[in-house]
Amino acid sequence: MTTRNQVKVVGGIGLSGVIAAGLTGFVALMGLSFWIAGRAHIPTLQGLAGSRPERPIDISLNGHLGDYLFDLTTVEITILFIIMCIWIGWAVLRHNEKNHKAKYDHGDDKRANVSTAILAGLVFVCVDGVLLYNSYVDLNEVFWNFPTEAQHPVIVEVMAQQWAWNFRYPGPDGKFNTPDDIVTFNDLHIPVGRPVYARIQSKDVVHSFYLPNFRIKQDAFPGTTTRMWFQATQPGAFEIACAQHCGANHYKMEGAITADTPEQYAAWEKAQVAEAQRRYDPGDVEAHWGWEWEY
Amino acid sequence: MSEQHIHPEPTSFWRKYVFSVDHKVIAQQFIWLGLSFLLIGGMMAMMIRWQLANPGQPFPVIGRFLLPATHGVVSPMMYTALFTNHGTIMIFFAVTPIMIGGFGNYCIPLGIGARDMVFPTLNMLSFWAMVVATVILVASFFVPMGGAAAGWTAYPTLSTQMGTPGGGQTLLVLSLFIAGSSSIMGAVNYITTVIRLRAPGMTYMKMPLTVWGLWLTAVLNALFVPVLASGLILLFFDRTFGTKFFITGAMIKGGGDPLLFQHLFWIFGHPEVYILIMPVWGVISDVLPFFARKPAYGYKVTVYALIAVCVLSAVVYGHHMYTTSMSPLLGESFMVLTMIISVPAMVLFLNWLRTIWRGSIRTTVPMLFALGVVFVFGLGGLTGLYLADIPQDLYLHDTYFVVGHFHLTMAAAVFLGSFCSIYFWFPKIWGRMFNERLGKLHFWCSIIPITLVFCGMLLIGYSGMQRRLYNLESYEYAKRLLPMNQFVSVMAFTLFLGQVFFVSNFVYSVFRGRKASENPWELGTLEWQISSPPPHHNFDVIPTVIHGPHEFNNPEVLKKLGKDWLGQAEVIPGAEAVHEPAEIAQAGE
Repeated sequence: MTTRNQVKVVGGIGLSGVIAAGLTGFVALMGLSFWIAGRAHIPTLQGLAGSRPERPIDISLNGHLGDYLFDLTTVEITILFIIMCIWIGWAVLRHNEKNHKAKYDHGDDKRANVSTAILAGLVFVCVDGVLLYNSYVDLNEVFWNFPTEAQHPVIVEVMAQQWAWNFRYPGPDGKFNTPDDIVTFNDLHIPVGRPVYARIQSKDVVHSFYLPNFRIKQDAFPGTTTRMWFQATQPGAFEIACAQHCGANHYKMEGAITADTPEQYAAWEKAQVAEAQRRYDPGDVEAHWGWEWEY
Repeated sequence: MSEQHIHPEPTSFWRKYVFSVDHKVIAQQFIWLGLSFLLIGGMMAMMIRWQLANPGQPFPVIGRFLLPATHGVVSPMMYTALFTNHGTIMIFFAVTPIMIGGFGNYCIPLGIGARDMVFPTLNMLSFWAMVVATVILVASFFVPMGGAAAGWTAYPTLSTQMGTPGGGQTLLVLSLFIAGSSSIMGAVNYITTVIRLRAPGMTYMKMPLTVWGLWLTAVLNALFVPVLASGLILLFFDRTFGTKFFITGAMIKGGGDPLLFQHLFWIFGHPEVYILIMPVWGVISDVLPFFARKPAYGYKVTVYALIAVCVLSAVVYGHHMYTTSMSPLLGESFMVLTMIISVPAMVLFLNWLRTIWRGSIRTTVPMLFALGVVFVFGLGGLTGLYLADIPQDLYLHDTYFVVGHFHLTMAAAVFLGSFCSIYFWFPKIWGRMFNERLGKLHFWCSIIPITLVFCGMLLIGYSGMQRRLYNLESYEYAKRLLPMNQFVSVMAFTLFLGQVFFVSNFVYSVFRGRKASENPWELGTLEWQISSPPPHHNFDVIPTVIHGPHEFNNPEVLKKLGKDWLGQAEVIPGAEAVHEPAEIAQAGE
């Protein structure tokens, strides 16, 4: 068994000394990092203030639902996190070996178990419960409540490829893979105020159809069709991004999404249909990548 | 409890230090292997961060030697290879060897009072399989067309010949398969050892929580690594033998489904997250009471919470696939199940926080790191709430928010937890003390930048920037985030440089540190009652366990023995009659 000749290892420079030394070391290292990074750009304070973290502008009908939940979650977890930090800080400073002996408590009596259960349950109901309820309602009523034929959504087939987006509108006949299909490349036009229902596939590898300004994305697979719907509330030109790593040029897979007023959209559609019929080539099998639409 | 003989210590160099079957030597081999790959993986992270902060600029100082073909500039192809191998190396070749291979090997036999693992030769094989895997991994960088580049998740069809031709990806798949076999060999060994070789009196509810964490890790490894292996072997067939398990597309007749791989991958992948964090949870559940000089609060409840997390980890994997248009019923089920994990996680946090409350905290280096784990894992766990939620995940999925979240949980927490373990068992493993001041400096130079790096990533992701982006300047909405990325990069460099305090401390102390006593931390668990480092056969006499691992400040012990701790096998004078479980009667050999 052990004897009582342990070496004294605790103590030394004290907690405040430790923190001071740590901060000094940290600042010194940060200086060194800046020096190494100094050959190129280093962030300036103005630059940092200029890149204030904020979500891209939201031009969608439903993006605010996710944003609201995000802000709600932030409030909830900030409260929990601050309680935890104060708890740890207080314990380290006040319940220190310099202050008093520890309380002999295994925390295994009924009171301890019940209080743990009540606290965990309370947090689950108040935090997770609220989020779950909201998400459940949002999913059933909005995100996974896809437009029906009666709502006359704009229907689009999206074909992703390395490293671009192909779009196909059914044209006046409402059927895909017919001569009047509008086919565009990296250029998606949608009307403001009408739901857009997209079905997505990929030619080669897995991509992800990501619309930052609509707060939504959906993966694109070869051989499987995925779907999403969204609706613009204001006109403007925005970006389509690929969110799933799809090869060396993944970072270049940028497309344009333009939200038009209904009049602009009608004019664009008319011009595109005429162009499509002029350019239609029945022999070009590869261009007929569309598939039959099902609501 | 089976009979354990004392084998003589091997005398030849090869049997003693290289092909050793001694769990303590194998543990050290794993730790050295893991630390070297931690350095390599960290270097890759620095190159990634460099490219994000200074797109197209040559990497300073050593870039010219690392990337001679492009004069130090990280090319898009190299960038994809870097993040692919950074993830793979950190998970399978840094964290797994250090925490599971290293401390799993070291702590399980010593913590339960065994002379070695139950299958010592299998143990050796597990390490050497890992070495073979690392050799293949390193080789994958030097084949034509460069290293693997399909991301650590290796989603087909990008990871098939269609997306990543060349030998690199094939070798990576092979390497992971062998690393997986190594994990399974280790897991079988750990599970059996804990069941068969516990010392007399060492009931399951008297085991140190470290052993509980490692044991549950082994169970998860044994159950779920085979799922990954099945996915990898099919992928290997697709790449080499022309099968089409995961290949399909417009140009291909027949063929399988790339989505199938995602299911196989995440059935393994989500438990893997807990495989990485579970040992750390176990270690800090021990270290917090050890240095608060107070019994672990709600020991049994902590154990049940750990088990609950293990069970739940198997049924939540779908939250990695919310954007695959899965059935709404399935999606909502996965959302509910994912949220339920927060209950056992909350219980663990409550128990940790109530353990240190009214304790008598000694702010030693391992204690600081353990508190650091609670801090960063708190951040990481709480940010998981955003991602568990489908309406928010539709926006945040595959952005830097995810990167920040999972790095806080399974990188920052595991990183700090690994150092907590290294500092804590340092006196026992190497028989010497490390320098306390350098250790504390290392702590502060790790916790501050690591928090800022990953919280910066959370903000970048919140602003919409997607992950695995070679050059953020190609997107209009991401351009403005360049200064933010530069800030994160500088913090990352600071973190990397801060490790110099660890390396210098570690190397100096292993060879030249002050000799450690057998029990420098004044603890009661079995490994601290034998010499530092322990003898070849660990225990001269297998101890008979009477108490739990955290008997601190027991009033009776204070009065009778005049110390605030009690050995697990130590008899309180005049109190023998109180502890009389039946199994103690058949104690010893």
